[in-house]
Amino acid sequence: MKSIVLGRTPDNLVSVFLLLCLISVPISASAQSWRALTPEQREALAPLDQQWDTLPEIQRKRLLETAKRYSHLTHEQKERYHKRLVKWSKLTPEQREAARQKYRAFNKLPAKEREKVKQMVKEEQIKKAQQSASGVAAASTAHQP
Amino acid sequence: MTDELDPGKIARLLTQGTRQLDVATMSALVDARQKALKRHSERAPVFTLAPTSAYMPARWTDRLIPHAAQLWIAAGLLVAVLIAGTSYWQHVQEQQIDETDLAILTDELPIEVFVD
Repeated sequence: MKSIVLGRTPDNLVSVFLLLCLISVPISASAQSWRALTPEQREALAPLDQQWDTLPEIQRKRLLETAKRYSHLTHEQKERYHKRLVKWSKLTPEQREAARQKYRAFNKLPAKEREKVKQMVKEEQIKKAQQSASGVAAASTAHQP
Repeated sequence: MTDELDPGKIARLLTQGTRQLDVATMSALVDARQKALKRHSERAPVFTLAPTSAYMPARWTDRLIPHAAQLWIAAGLLVAVLIAGTSYWQHVQEQQIDETDLAILTDELPIEVFVD
C-alpha cells in the first residue's frame, strides 16, 4: 500500500509543481499590430503609425508600456514624447541601453549639478536658434536683387 | 563446552534474565530507555534522505504524508519560490526600464544629451 502511495506521489507533485510554475510566471502581453491597438494607444504612438508593424516585438512591448502613461502626461510632455518617439525607435538596442545608463547617472548627480547642466543645454539651444535665425536672414538678404 | 552460544540462544537467556529482575530494576531500565529515545529524537534532523529509524518515533506529519512525499513537496515549494522570486525580480527590472524610457522621452533635456 505504501509503495503505491509513493509511486503516485511524484506524478501528483509534478502536476502541482507545473501549476505553481504557471502561476508564478508573469503573464506578458504579446506585442500587437497597429490595427489591433486601442484608440488611446494609437493616439500615444501616432508618430510611429507607419513603422509600428516593422518594429521588433520587444521594442513594441516597451513602447506600449510607456504609452500606458501617455494620458497622465502634461501637454508639454506629450509634445516631447511625440517628437522623440521616431528618433528613439530608430536607435539600436545598445544605443537605447547606453542612453538609459546616462539618464540614470545624470539623475544621481546632485540637484545643483543637474541644474547647471540644464542651464548649459538651454543656453546652447538658444545659441543654435539664434545662429539658424541669422543664417536664414543672411540668406534672404543675399537673394534680394 | 559442547553447546555453542548462538545469537538466538543469547537472546533467550537475556529474556529469561530480564524476567527474573525485580520491579525496581525493570522500571529503572524502562525509564532509562525512554530518556535515551527522547534524546535521540531531539537530535534527529528535520529532513533526511534515510528512512525513519525504528527507534525514532514517527512525527505527526509522517502519519499524514509519507516522508518521501514531504521531500518532494519541500523541493517543489523551494523551486516555486525561486521561480516566483526570479520572475518578480525580472518584472521590477522591466518596470525600471519602462520608467526610464518614458523619462527620457518626456524630460526637459533633449534626447540628444543622452544619445550619442
